Amino acid sequence: MDILFVLIPLSVLMALVVLGGLWWAVYRGQFEDIEEEGRRIFEDDE
Amino acid sequence: MLANAFTTEAIAPNSSWTILDTQDQWQRFSQPFENDPSQQLVQSSLLLDGLHCAACSGIIEHGLQALPGIISARVSMSKKRAVVVWSPTLTCPSKILSAIQILGYSASPASHNENQLNSTSKNRAAFWRWMVAGFCMMQVMMYASPSYFTKAGDISIDIRQLLNWASWLLSLPVLLFSSSTFFSNALRDLKLRQISMDLPVALGIGITFIVSSAATFEPNSWWGNTVYFDSLTMFVFFLLSARLIEVKLHTKTLGALEALVSRIPENTERQNLDGSFTRVLNSQLKIGDIVRVHMGEAFPADGKIVLCGTSSGKISVDESLLTGESTPIQKSLHDSVIAGSYNLGQTVNIVLDTIGESTRYGQIVSLINQAAIEKPRLSQLADRVARPFLLFVILSAALSAALLWDIDRARALMTAAAVLIVTCPCALSLATPAAMLASASAFVKRGILIRRLQAIESIAGIDTVIFDKTGTLTEDHIQVKAISHKDGLSEVSALALAAAIARHSLHPISRALANACQNNEAQQQGLTIELDDIKEDVGAGISATLKNTTANSDLVHINLIHGRLKLGSAKFCVIEETSQLLQQVYLADANGWLATFSLQEAIKPNAAQTIQDLKEINLNVELLSGDQSHTVVSTAKETGISQFQATCSPHDKLLRLQALKQQGKKVLMVGDGLNDGPILASAHASIAMGKGVPLTLAHADYILLNGDISQIPQLIRHAKKTMQVIKQNIAWAIIYNLVCIPLAFFGVLSAWLAGLGMATSSLIVIANALRLTNFSARPTTLPLTAEKAK
Repeated sequence: MDILFVLIPLSVLMALVVLGGLWWAVYRGQFEDIEEEGRRIFEDDE
Repeated sequence: MLANAFTTEAIAPNSSWTILDTQDQWQRFSQPFENDPSQQLVQSSLLLDGLHCAACSGIIEHGLQALPGIISARVSMSKKRAVVVWSPTLTCPSKILSAIQILGYSASPASHNENQLNSTSKNRAAFWRWMVAGFCMMQVMMYASPSYFTKAGDISIDIRQLLNWASWLLSLPVLLFSSSTFFSNALRDLKLRQISMDLPVALGIGITFIVSSAATFEPNSWWGNTVYFDSLTMFVFFLLSARLIEVKLHTKTLGALEALVSRIPENTERQNLDGSFTRVLNSQLKIGDIVRVHMGEAFPADGKIVLCGTSSGKISVDESLLTGESTPIQKSLHDSVIAGSYNLGQTVNIVLDTIGESTRYGQIVSLINQAAIEKPRLSQLADRVARPFLLFVILSAALSAALLWDIDRARALMTAAAVLIVTCPCALSLATPAAMLASASAFVKRGILIRRLQAIESIAGIDTVIFDKTGTLTEDHIQVKAISHKDGLSEVSALALAAAIARHSLHPISRALANACQNNEAQQQGLTIELDDIKEDVGAGISATLKNTTANSDLVHINLIHGRLKLGSAKFCVIEETSQLLQQVYLADANGWLATFSLQEAIKPNAAQTIQDLKEINLNVELLSGDQSHTVVSTAKETGISQFQATCSPHDKLLRLQALKQQGKKVLMVGDGLNDGPILASAHASIAMGKGVPLTLAHADYILLNGDISQIPQLIRHAKKTMQVIKQNIAWAIIYNLVCIPLAFFGVLSAWLAGLGMATSSLIVIANALRLTNFSARPTTLPLTAEKAK
């Protein structure tokens, strides 16, 4: 079970990294117009 | 493909846009592009018009991106907005706007005012706070789960310690960042020597964190060794979720109000001295300016049409939000248009006669804003109760901690935290304003303005309705009630003949005749009447000569072609008057009498139905009028009002109102808002007709913008429903607190359950209020009005 001494701190680190990613997403406006991007897939590329 | 249709040189910027090219102009709708400050790029938002389908947005995006100096362009179909990132050194706004115009769409700068910018960053911050709390909550729960699923001694103390440290670390962002608003609000209110609901929450969060931290770092001290990080993160998450949803619901309830408040465009095309047009900001418009309003735009101010682009000379405008009139209204040259209504037809020029706050639109907006600020009685009461209630909560939390202190200090503190968190004064103080604002926005959607929110409570309790007659039960114009005519002449052709003559006069009676004729136009197809030598004898009548008419009409049979036709009073027509009582107008030719038209004030088509509806909801209906008794009698009869009083002076009306008040009646007064101001003001609740009356002068609680009295029964019903919802909300808030505080006090509720309880409680109140945002349909008895209510 000694591996937990590595894994638990690692999980904290990973959580902080994910938080960083979410911060980037929120402040780039990724959550502000949710329908728009989904619709964009169906458009033809010229 | 389309993108290649123009190159840089091909775009000659439209002159009307060039005013936007100076920096202080484009800064109004632009901001520095945040992701790349080094290149000094600018991000502008534009409002687009003419977007039909998803493909349109692609065309605009590709078209714009092909221009030099434009870094990126994004079009949002749903918001009808484009966000363009461009370089001021390479291009300018007029080129961008002209490029969009060449592509076949119209665009205008979407100047975001400070508020909008602020609200975006506020929304982002709130959302981010919520997300941090949510994410950390999940992770902390992971670390906490072993302690729920294992027996004591299953996990080694080292591992447990490590898990606690990890939880502590991930609770820090929740405490320091996500719940910072609770702490700062509580601190701010303490400084102002006030108690807000954030204080118990902040205390609860603080206590939980201190207890858990102590247990983490000093597991053998008297603080105990149980940690509550999972509870802490969870209730912060619940509370933030509730606030987020609350804000969403609140914007939804106020949607109709805001749509009205923010509908006028920021700038308008104004005519210069040389006849060309320049786009200027609305604040620069002056009375007497001529402006051009395109199809789909809102009129920036009140004015008269001076030039119509269409061949027919008619445009239609949509005044629905301002007057409640849902069908578009036809306007032709010299007609007035009102600010905030939409031009649905071709481009028109108007000359402005009223601008800014004195327009009808400006008045409506300021009325709405006023009403929203005012605090209704129940709301003030709730606020007054909230303060002692919060004190009580803090004291009982302290008491619960004191009682348990000697037994288990950690448990004592956690019980206090649960008591602090479970209390929900929000539900109490939200109960009234949430419901009333939701109702007010439902009213606005139907063309009913409310001047003060308190009026919802007063109108819900009324038992007597007093109507004024003129302009309230009746239209402000007269109509033809009966026609008698000479043998050999049909009613239709008599009317057609009279109307043909009357059309040349603007007298109210003439217009009534012309209108009556228009109404049964279908029956007289094929009947043409040509008149010659028309003369109006002002105040007496009109005379004309019949030049020509359709060959087989009965007008030919009675041989009218020769001789002079007269339309007017008996004296003018040289015949004997038949009735002194009724208002009549006569048609005669050289041989004498042809037809008699009896006139009457037009009773509103839905008046009788409205009175019946009011009686159905057990209200006494009375009619008080200053008019002569015979007209009042006939109006009362036709509308089905049994109690009426004619030839009332304003003083008589006031006396009657006071008499009713002394009998303990609660009276709703319905008047035109002009002549009966004092009576409207002294009644329990009052409704004024907003047609043709300066809104600020109409001293009534409610103003029916389109004068449609059939809204009144629904209005009363909706107000009653609102009061019901408020009572439910208050009852819920009281019962919830009565049940939950003792539960927490005796340690049954854990901290996270308390947080969930509080969050749900305030959401229930808001969701209940949200039921009021739409006007309630009538019960099934009358499908016709039920249809309208939708």
